[in-house]
Amino acid sequence: MDTCNVPGSNKDVKTHFKVSRFIIEAGVKLGMHSVPIATACTVYHKFFKETSLEKYDPYLVAMSAIYLAGKVEEQHLRTRDIINVCHRYQNPGHEPLEVDSKFWELRDSIVHCELLMLRMLNFRVSFQHPHKYLLHYLISLNNWMNRHSWERTPIATAAWALLRDSYHGDLCLRHEPQHIAVAVLYFALQCYGIEVPSNNNAETSWWQVFSEDVTELTINNIISDLINIYTMDTEIA
Amino acid sequence: MEKDLVRQSLSQHGPSLLSLLKSEQHEHAGFKQLLGDLSKWPQYRKERNAENPELQQFIARKADLLFATSWKSNSQEKSEMQEVAQGSYAVMPPLEQFMEVPSAQKRELFFRDAERGDIVIGRITCIREFGFFLELLCMGSGILRDIKDLKINALCPVRDVPSQSSHGDPLSYYQTGDLIQAAVKDIDRFHEKLTLSLHKSALPTHQSFIKLGVISTDDMPEYYRQSLVLSDNLNTFEKILRQSLAFSNPSSVDILLSKLGIDESNPPSLIRGLQRENFRDQDYAPFLRKKQSSSWALKCVKHGVDYFKVGRHVDAMNEYNKALEIDDKNVEALVARGALYATKGSLNKAINDFEIALENCPNHRNARKYLCQTLVERGGQLEEEDKLLNAESYYSKVLTLDETFTEAEEALSKLRQRMQKSLEKREEQDEKEEKVKEKKIETSAEKLRKLLKEEKRKKKHKQGSSSSSSSGSSSDTSSSDSHKKQKKKKRRRKLSESSSRSKKSLSNDPSHHKEECYSPPANTSASFLNHKSEVPKMLKEHDRLGHRRASAARDRSLSSSSFEIMERIRGRSEDSIDSLSSTKTQASSSRTCSEASAGKYKSSRRDSTDLYKTEERHRNSSLDHLEEGRKSSRKSDLNLSKHVSADSKERRSSGNTSGLYKTHSQGNTSRACTDEQRIVESDKAQNGSAAATKCMSGDLLNILTQIADFEKEKGTKLKNK
Repeated sequence: MDTCNVPGSNKDVKTHFKVSRFIIEAGVKLGMHSVPIATACTVYHKFFKETSLEKYDPYLVAMSAIYLAGKVEEQHLRTRDIINVCHRYQNPGHEPLEVDSKFWELRDSIVHCELLMLRMLNFRVSFQHPHKYLLHYLISLNNWMNRHSWERTPIATAAWALLRDSYHGDLCLRHEPQHIAVAVLYFALQCYGIEVPSNNNAETSWWQVFSEDVTELTINNIISDLINIYTMDTEIA
Repeated sequence: MEKDLVRQSLSQHGPSLLSLLKSEQHEHAGFKQLLGDLSKWPQYRKERNAENPELQQFIARKADLLFATSWKSNSQEKSEMQEVAQGSYAVMPPLEQFMEVPSAQKRELFFRDAERGDIVIGRITCIREFGFFLELLCMGSGILRDIKDLKINALCPVRDVPSQSSHGDPLSYYQTGDLIQAAVKDIDRFHEKLTLSLHKSALPTHQSFIKLGVISTDDMPEYYRQSLVLSDNLNTFEKILRQSLAFSNPSSVDILLSKLGIDESNPPSLIRGLQRENFRDQDYAPFLRKKQSSSWALKCVKHGVDYFKVGRHVDAMNEYNKALEIDDKNVEALVARGALYATKGSLNKAINDFEIALENCPNHRNARKYLCQTLVERGGQLEEEDKLLNAESYYSKVLTLDETFTEAEEALSKLRQRMQKSLEKREEQDEKEEKVKEKKIETSAEKLRKLLKEEKRKKKHKQGSSSSSSSGSSSDTSSSDSHKKQKKKKRRRKLSESSSRSKKSLSNDPSHHKEECYSPPANTSASFLNHKSEVPKMLKEHDRLGHRRASAARDRSLSSSSFEIMERIRGRSEDSIDSLSSTKTQASSSRTCSEASAGKYKSSRRDSTDLYKTEERHRNSSLDHLEEGRKSSRKSDLNLSKHVSADSKERRSSGNTSGLYKTHSQGNTSRACTDEQRIVESDKAQNGSAAATKCMSGDLLNILTQIADFEKEKGTKLKNK
């Protein structure tokens, strides 16, 4: 496992998990699509790979990451919405913030933080996400599999859910997008006990078709990373 | 929990998963139900992968989410999905082609998975009397498999080939080697036999638009083309995918998601905290924004009300507008702004605001109250403006809003009384008018004729005028007319001297001129009026000059002969005007005039004198020169016509006329001639700006020549007598 790359302790991982969770939840409430959310999480994880949690408030970074991701993925979000949703997340049940000087200060800090992040990431904020790969894999698989077993089994939904959940950790930084996509698909098929037809008789197994350089070891690593995320979820909750 | 899914997973993962499931999901109600069934079928697959306890633990923990029925329903939608536009996502060659699955297995799986209603594409290999055989190349729908090398033959029986109208035998339409798109009608999985149909009825309903029958190579599905490319030139899946233009299409994600039946508005997750049911609607951005906006807007309204109380209405309005900008449906802001509008007197705007407020909040008491009051006020305004029907609608609107609003009721009853009265009045008036009309009926025909003539004349003028003013052009025609008349006049005189017919022609003449000189009524063409307004100004000056001289001339003419006057005028005019020749010709022409008039006419020229006098008076007195010009011309016409009609009478009473009258008339005619001369002179002198003046002078000339003509003729007639 590549977790040794991650700086910081287990505590940091937990914090990042929480903040990532915050990003994803806020993203859902903001109506963000999966790809912008993925970008926001990637930006967040990448940022804290460059620096440490002591230096910056992770939640502010997360808010700026959401704002930035909206721009990068061309799903423009309004800072006011971001502030409202995030404020509500931190203070459940509270009334939305008054639009006063405090509000505008918060907004300014988000914008400033966004600039800081851009500079920290050397303005490289456009990422190749596994999403597109996964969807194309799913279409190919759909055509090769029996229609009824495909329709009966929510492979696509499960794979999509796994992929979205993977952003709770920094998998996106440690693995190729194709590998993640393949692993997620593999995991989903495993969960439902489904095998790709004739995979054993074929010259090339299906995951190797999708990504030449992926090995079963990588797939299993990613899967165990994913499982770790879910374990952490129960630990924190 | 979905039974089939659990069973499928269990058969893969074996009894260890079951025990894990039992421990993890013992609280789940759905699982307890399943448990009874599950124990009955422990038919686990023999050749299982190495067991992965981590994975099984995960499945067991997330079983309620993984096997939830809600997820399953998502994926079923996609089968209904229609084909999407080309280029929206990367179409890849079939997976099995990359995997290099043995042909036997491909064939087996094809016959396992193909279904009725699927579209297949193949080439005709042979045609028999009972139908034709196809060798399948690819699929048109459903499972897009690599079947081109599987040598799958399918029969399309003759009864499933629709007959083409021009061919008796439906099969004669087809040839060996044709590409055919057909629907699978029947499939014998055991004997691996396919029956096809070309009838639309064989297609599933959502694909009934697909054309069955002969197709061209261009109509081959994209995946098949990709597959051909791949078999020619081996490439990896990844490379082909990344090279595909459609892969970089940013919207491909959304399209594929909908194709796969994944809902992004309610994204799936295996994390419990991220399940949709854990989110409350009021935590979503649109809800929060709305809430925040309304409270923000209310704050602004409060500020506005404070301003309003102090009397700073502009500031108050600004605050209200700001509030409505923040929250365009804010009822309080609308009501407050409406109230402000109402106090400022913009009742319509106020009503509008109140109405919108009531639309958004039908129970808002203040909005209703204010709206009623404002409507009544507006009704009152309308009443004052005499728009009774509108006022009535306002009052009745109030009553539909609030039946107990007595003010409106009172106002309405009053208004209805008033309307009743006015109706009666109007009826009376109508009756009166009708009576008047009846009287007028006799004359109306005449009037109509006149109007028509006028209309015609105006049209002519309009046609004539292009860039120059209408008055200018109209005057041009009339002036040229008058010139012609002058020539005519000479001719006519010769004629009239011998013939009595002249009288007839004369009597025609003025009426004819009447048409020409009749200036249009003021209300018909205001533009015409405006154009002309400059003309009388110029005319005025000339008139004044001319008049002074003419009056002087008249004084003299009382005692002296018109000849002398003409001479004098000529001299004077020579003084004042440079061009000698022009004046000379004018003078000569005027001389002929005066000669004629100064002849031995003894007729009672009082009428004509009167005419000139009135004309003069008009010119002098009237300030509105246009009006004056029109009147005078009209009058002269009138007088002329009167003159004509009175002609016979006068002729009879000619014996009574005195010598004084005679001289008077002589003097007047000569003056008329001088007038005419003056105008013509000034015309010539002021060539540049005189176009407009010319018109007036033309008019005058017309009249004057007419008069002169008339007098002459009169004279000749008298003479003849």
